[in-house]
Amino acid sequence: MVKFLKPGKAVIILQGRFAGRKAVIVRCFDEGTRDRPYGHCLVAGILKYPKKVIRKDSAKKTAKKSRVKAFLKVVNYSHIMPTRYTLDVDLKDAVTLDALQSRDKKVVACKETKARFEERFKTGKNRWFFTKLRF
Amino acid sequence: MLQRLYNQHSETLAFPFAATAEAGGFCLAHPLLSPPPRRRRRSLVTGATMVVAKKTKKTQESINNRLALVMKSGKYTLGYKTVLRSLRNNKGKLVLIANNCPPLRKSEIEYYAMLAKVGVHHFNGNNVDLGTACGKYFRVCCLSIIDPGDSDIIKSMPGDQ
Repeated sequence: MVKFLKPGKAVIILQGRFAGRKAVIVRCFDEGTRDRPYGHCLVAGILKYPKKVIRKDSAKKTAKKSRVKAFLKVVNYSHIMPTRYTLDVDLKDAVTLDALQSRDKKVVACKETKARFEERFKTGKNRWFFTKLRF
Repeated sequence: MLQRLYNQHSETLAFPFAATAEAGGFCLAHPLLSPPPRRRRRSLVTGATMVVAKKTKKTQESINNRLALVMKSGKYTLGYKTVLRSLRNNKGKLVLIANNCPPLRKSEIEYYAMLAKVGVHHFNGNNVDLGTACGKYFRVCCLSIIDPGDSDIIKSMPGDQ
C-alpha cells in the first residue's frame, strides 16, 4: 500500500525499442490523461551504457568509455518493471512533456540528461543503474 | 522479456534479490574502475529445506470462510493484470496466489507486493480451488483484496512472505 512508482524510481523497460534498458521515472501520471487514458510515466533511460573501465586505460580512453547515451520516453506502467533501486538525479527541469513534442527540443533534453547521467556515473554511485542488464 | 530476466535455478528475478546492491566493500582507486572479476565458486547443492507449516484443515476452512465474506461484502479483483494494476495504484491490501501459478508470475507478483509493502498469501490449492473458494465457476490464479468489507482476512493473515 506504499506508492512505489514515484519520480526517482529505477525501472526496467520491458517492451518496445528500449526493452531491457534501465530508466528512471521523471514524472508520473497515475490517472492518465485524455490522450493516454491509462497510468503512464515519463522516463529518462540509458540507451548506450558506459563501457567497463580498466586500470590500464589512459585518461582519454576512460573519458571515451564513460560516455552515456540517454533516451526519453512516455511509457505505460504495464510496460515497465519497477525495481527496488532509486536514482535521485534531478531531471524535472530538463525533462518535461513539451520537450517531447518536437525533435530539436527532445535532442536538447536528451543532451542535458546525458550530461547529468555522466556526472552521476563518474562519482561512482548508483553503480547498478549504469551496468547493463544481462539477459 | 521478463522470462529472460528470470533465474530458474534460484527462482528469483535477476535483479531484485541480489544481496549486495552497490559495489560492496571494494576500495577502488578510480570510481569508474570495475571491480576485479569474481572467481566462480563452486556452489554447494543443498536440498531446499524450507519448512512449510502443514496447513491444517481448520486454517484452510477459515481462509475459505474469510474469502467468502470478502466476496460478499468487500471489494476485490481477480486475475493477474488487475492484481498488478491494484498494486501499482496502491489499492490492493492483500494478494492471494494459487499454488500452481507459474513461478515467473508468482515471483513478479511477490516483487510488486514487496515494493508496495502488501502481504501475499499463498493459497493452499490450485487455481481451480481458488476460483471455487471465490464462488466463481472459472479458475482464478491470483486475486487482490481491495476492501475487506466485514472480513478480518487482512488482520488475521498478513501474508506468509
